[in-house]
Amino acid sequence: MDRHQVFDRTLVLQRRLRALKQHGTSADFLLARAADDLEERLSAVERRFDVAVDLASHTDLAAEALRRSGKVSAIIRIEDDARFLTGASTGIVADQEVLPLQAASIDLAVSLLSLHLTNDTPGTLLQIRRALKPDGLFLGAMAGENTLTELRECLIAAESEISGGVSPRVAPFADVRDVGGLLQRAGFTLPVTDIETYTVRYDNLFALMRDLRAMGVQNSLFGRSRKPLTRQFFMRAAEIYAERFSDPDGRIRATFSFIWMSGWAAHESQQKPLKPGSAKASLADFLKDAEKD
Amino acid sequence: MTEADRETTLDRKLLELLVCPLTKGPLIYDQEKSELISKKARLAYPVRDGIPIMLPSEARAIEE
Repeated sequence: MDRHQVFDRTLVLQRRLRALKQHGTSADFLLARAADDLEERLSAVERRFDVAVDLASHTDLAAEALRRSGKVSAIIRIEDDARFLTGASTGIVADQEVLPLQAASIDLAVSLLSLHLTNDTPGTLLQIRRALKPDGLFLGAMAGENTLTELRECLIAAESEISGGVSPRVAPFADVRDVGGLLQRAGFTLPVTDIETYTVRYDNLFALMRDLRAMGVQNSLFGRSRKPLTRQFFMRAAEIYAERFSDPDGRIRATFSFIWMSGWAAHESQQKPLKPGSAKASLADFLKDAEKD
Repeated sequence: MTEADRETTLDRKLLELLVCPLTKGPLIYDQEKSELISKKARLAYPVRDGIPIMLPSEARAIEE
């Protein structure tokens, strides 16, 4: 195992495929929310895009949002299995970490809720930026800090109580400042990040875990414990969750936060700082004048 | 275009922007075999139902 590999991507894919087969898109409410957000964010961009690539957004929701926006001529969806390629868009099967896209070939890249499961996120962002034509736009969302923070806390508490130790059960998520740095490192100009946080309420921990299973996002960390969990463990975790994170009506809260990223491929028409030494007024003169006042 | 054409013909626009994911080098479309050939990587990526499968694990190794 490469020490940089955090996620077992083969297992991630297996779980998503099983979820699709058993639950269809019944638990896609977070994706639907992100897709609505995508449409709104795109509507604020004053230009049209010829070729758009939707990168691993799980379902057809992102492509539909692009179509509704009326700003895109052609949409190509990339997924890591053909079974995810439903809908009217042209499809490519590829690993999002190893993109088969020609440099400077697309005008818009979007990605909903999958970049947080990449092992080489900086490399993936770099490949996206390279695939964009000058003045092309990347707009994406991934799960970020505070996502499932309550679940993480309760599983750690229950596990340490019962087995006297803990193992990773909830994936690590990036914080919004780190992601801004990643965009910059990948060479995007005018990078912007922000965070949208949602609270979803459930009857109990089991209902939350049912939804996570239906999304196919169970623990896929390489460092996960292979020991089977007991009923006692889950009962205790559910108890702790209810004690610490329930509303007066007894329902529990689960936090999901999406980090939104946008960045452009460089183009000469974009605003940029002046070259050092190109100033026409001297700072010393300005300060002298300021002192006089 | 007939149904059969649609299955074997790759969208022209799509072909223009595809490269080998490993080498980022050009691909040659073999319509008869329905494969995209990366000479540099010596791999032939299958095209199934009009969908290019750009996964090295699914590609056929080309012998010289």
